[in-house]
Amino acid sequence: MRFVSELSKGIVKENPIFVLVLGMCPTLAVSTSVTNAIGMGMAATFVLICSNIIISMIKNVTPVKIRIPIYVVVIASFVTIVDMVMAAYVPALHKSLGLFIPLIVVNCIILGRAEAFANKNNVLNSLADAIGMGAGFTLSLVIVATIREILGAGTWLNISVMPKTYDPMLVAILAPGAFITLGFLMALINMLKERK
Amino acid sequence: MMYYLKLGVILLIFCAVAAGVLAYVNGLTTPIISERKAKEAIETREALIPNSTFEEKTAADSSYKYFVALDKTTKEVNGYTFVASKNGYSGKVETMVGLDKDFKVIDVKIITQSETPGLGANCVKDSFKAMFKGLGVENLMVDKDDKDNGKIIAMAGATITSRAIANSVHEQILVLQKELGQNDGGGK
Repeated sequence: MRFVSELSKGIVKENPIFVLVLGMCPTLAVSTSVTNAIGMGMAATFVLICSNIIISMIKNVTPVKIRIPIYVVVIASFVTIVDMVMAAYVPALHKSLGLFIPLIVVNCIILGRAEAFANKNNVLNSLADAIGMGAGFTLSLVIVATIREILGAGTWLNISVMPKTYDPMLVAILAPGAFITLGFLMALINMLKERK
Repeated sequence: MMYYLKLGVILLIFCAVAAGVLAYVNGLTTPIISERKAKEAIETREALIPNSTFEEKTAADSSYKYFVALDKTTKEVNGYTFVASKNGYSGKVETMVGLDKDFKVIDVKIITQSETPGLGANCVKDSFKAMFKGLGVENLMVDKDDKDNGKIIAMAGATITSRAIANSVHEQILVLQKELGQNDGGGK
C-alpha cells in the first residue's frame, strides 16, 4: 500500500513542478517543444531512479555532515555514465537526448528527493518515490510544453495543429513565455485546490 | 579532530569509487564513440559531395585540415569539405561544409551544437540549412549584419547561433581560398 501511495503522490499531490516548485531551470529551458519535454522527462526520471536507489542503499554509511557532497558525487557520476553509455551504444537516442543529459546535474528534483526522501526511506519506497516524481515531472513538462509549442510554433509533437493562417506567437517559446505559462498554470492549480 | 579526519576519509572513498567507475566506463566507451564519430564523418562527407573520393589535406601552417573531393570516374576536383567552428550562444557550433569547385556551398551539416532547444537548436533543421545552398562566400552573412549581400536570414530568437554558423563558414572559406591561392571572390 505504501508503495502505491509513494508512487502516486509525485503526480498530483506533491507534483515536483507545480506544487514543490523544484527543477525550474530545466523546466523553463526545455519546455519549448513536446519532443524536448518528453526527452528531458525520461532522462531525468532514469537518473532519479538510479540515484534514489543508491542513496537509499548507502544512507547508513553516509555521515550527516557530508551527505550533500556525497549525493552530488553519486548524481554526477550517474549522469556521466548515462551520457557515455548512451553515446556509445544507442547513438540515435543520444542524439536526441544528449543535449539534456548535462542539464540533469542541475536538476534540483534529484538532489531534492535524495535529501528529502531517499536518505530516510528504504530502497523499495525510494524507487516508488523516484518513479512517481519522475512521472510527475515528465507530465508537467509535457503540459507546459504543449501550451508553449502550440502557441509559439503552431505545432504539437512537430505536427501542425493550427490553421495555416495562424501567426505563431513567438514570445511563447522564448524565455518570458515559459515564466508566463508556468505562472498561469500554477495559479490555475491553486485555484482548483482552494475550491475543493 | 579524529571525527573530521574520518569524514574526509569517507568522502575520499566515495570519490575514489566514483572516479574508478567513471574511468572504467570511459575506457570502455571512448573507442566505440570515436569509431562511430569517424564513421559518421565519412558518411557526412559522402552525403555532402556524392560520387567522390576524399583526400585529406593539412593546411601549410598545419592549423586545420580539409578534404579535397575527387570525382570517382574522372578524378577531377569536385569540391572541398571542411569543418567550420565558432562559439554560438552556449558552446561550440561545428558545421561540416561541402563546397563545389567554385567555392559555392553545396550543402552544410551541423555536426556539433548545444544551443537552446526550440531556438538556436533549430539550426539543425532543413529550413535553416537550405539557405546556405548555392551561396558564395560574399553572401554567407546574416541579413542583419550585411543588408545588401547577407542571404542567411537569422532564425527567430537565435541571431547569435545563426551568426556563429554563417560567420564560421564564411571565414573558413576565405582561409581555404587563401590556402589554395584563389583569393578572388572573397569579401566583395
